[in-house]
Amino acid sequence: MSLFRALHAELLRLKRTLAFRVVFVLPLLIAVLQFFVILRTKKYAPGFNLWQTHPTNSFQIWAVFMMPLLIALVTALLNGIEHSDKQWKHLFALPVPRYAVYFAKLMVAQGLILTSTLVLAVVTGIVGVAGMYLRPELANAGPVPYVWLAKQVAFIWLASWLIIAIHTWISMRWSGFPIALGAGIGGTFFALFAASAALGKYYPWLLPMNIFVEGRFATALLLGIGGGIVAALLGCFEFTRRDVN
Amino acid sequence: MTINYLIETRALTRRFGSQRAVDDLNLLVPAAGVYGFLGPNGAGKTTAIRMLLGLIRPNAGEVRLFGQSLNGNHRSLMRRVGALVEAPSLYPHLTGRENLEVTRRLLGSDRNLIELALATVKLTKDADRRVREYSLGMRQRLGLALALLNNPDLLILDEPTNGLDPAGIHEMRDLIRRLPDEFGVTVFLSSHLLGEVEQIATHIGIIHEGSLLFQGTLAELQSKQQTQLTLGVKQLEAATEFLVNTGWRVQRCDDLLNVSTKAPDDAVRINKLLVDRGLDVFHLAVSQRSLEDIFLSLTNGRPS
Repeated sequence: MSLFRALHAELLRLKRTLAFRVVFVLPLLIAVLQFFVILRTKKYAPGFNLWQTHPTNSFQIWAVFMMPLLIALVTALLNGIEHSDKQWKHLFALPVPRYAVYFAKLMVAQGLILTSTLVLAVVTGIVGVAGMYLRPELANAGPVPYVWLAKQVAFIWLASWLIIAIHTWISMRWSGFPIALGAGIGGTFFALFAASAALGKYYPWLLPMNIFVEGRFATALLLGIGGGIVAALLGCFEFTRRDVN
Repeated sequence: MTINYLIETRALTRRFGSQRAVDDLNLLVPAAGVYGFLGPNGAGKTTAIRMLLGLIRPNAGEVRLFGQSLNGNHRSLMRRVGALVEAPSLYPHLTGRENLEVTRRLLGSDRNLIELALATVKLTKDADRRVREYSLGMRQRLGLALALLNNPDLLILDEPTNGLDPAGIHEMRDLIRRLPDEFGVTVFLSSHLLGEVEQIATHIGIIHEGSLLFQGTLAELQSKQQTQLTLGVKQLEAATEFLVNTGWRVQRCDDLLNVSTKAPDDAVRINKLLVDRGLDVFHLAVSQRSLEDIFLSLTNGRPS
């Protein structure tokens, strides 16, 4: 009940915030990029199937770059509003369990990332259809692969739970954008090096991308979900015992 | 007779490094009225309040609210407490009403309480404006409305008039003064301004360097006020000897005598005694030691 009430309050806090808007803007950037890639490609090989490359490219760009940065940004914005006017002291003086506040924040962040990934799937489909309309040689690709798109959304999102949990804790622990965004940029930057390493399959910021890497799918999914739950519980443990100055 | 204390702290202590911010604090706040928690800036008021609200943990001692230990009962006790700690915590991108709605949702309290709280702090007209457009006084009043949302029995306000202009201070003071009678709420109010506390408090606690120096009713504090007579008498030696022998505390200051008394009426008695004795009184001035003097002497002359 407390968690439901905290979630209900959290949704109202989102009103008119940048966190809510950015969730819709970032997938559109990828869609625009992909739209021009489809249009500007000079020649397609015979038998080329748009649905076998275009959605995968979109999701990979999303998973390796945009999503980790969006997670850092969204969690920093969600918790930044609590740091900015010293809201924590008000929240913690209320008869509301701290774990409810913590998990409400985490769940809203997860919800926003899921929404954003869903928006990406929708605009990817729209861009594909538009591409087929504008480039008749691509028309043989067939209908939009809804099921495949939905599955990728679910897999990428589940694999991102660990990053969301890490960033939720970081942005709750420290006030100010630089630390939260620095962790996001740093995590994403090192992912470029970790990608080719064997240990890269365990690197949190690579897990959503690993969904598309052969031999890493199961690890990405298990570590994303399991690590996400463990990290969330550890973060909550620290959060509930913190002094508020 | 057993007195029920809404707030009771037992040897409450909090250290930050080697510094004792609050040291062996034993507060006793009775139900009803306004308790003024007075002390210079940095005296430990905010640290004490944070411990009362469970925001920070004491190194030693215990906080009891409504007769129950805060430890282990935080949620149930906080249902009866409203708090405004320093500047109000508000979301500037939301309207005043939406700010109240966020807290109402968290509390699960009745929707009607929002309108009641807005009316109490006189913000109904501005409730749908965004908080970033509010003046400091309006923000402070909205903070008070937030604290009233769970219909509390105890309201803890930390420096509620800080940063307000004189009109804002006046408005806030009137508001706080009305609360015990109109809503039956006990107000625990911290301030570094004696004048402010003196006007609204029924009970006073004075804290300095983490320690409680005085605790009691305003009347008890006022009883510490002393009247001082400054006398000019031609026969200085004889007058001094006579007054000392009759039990007065006399201090010689150049050609005048300073006599400490309990009440202004003592001036009449002393003058009559001296005149009846045949001593010539040519100067008599009465001055009273104010509450501010008492506060300053208790806190080593540090008003803020």
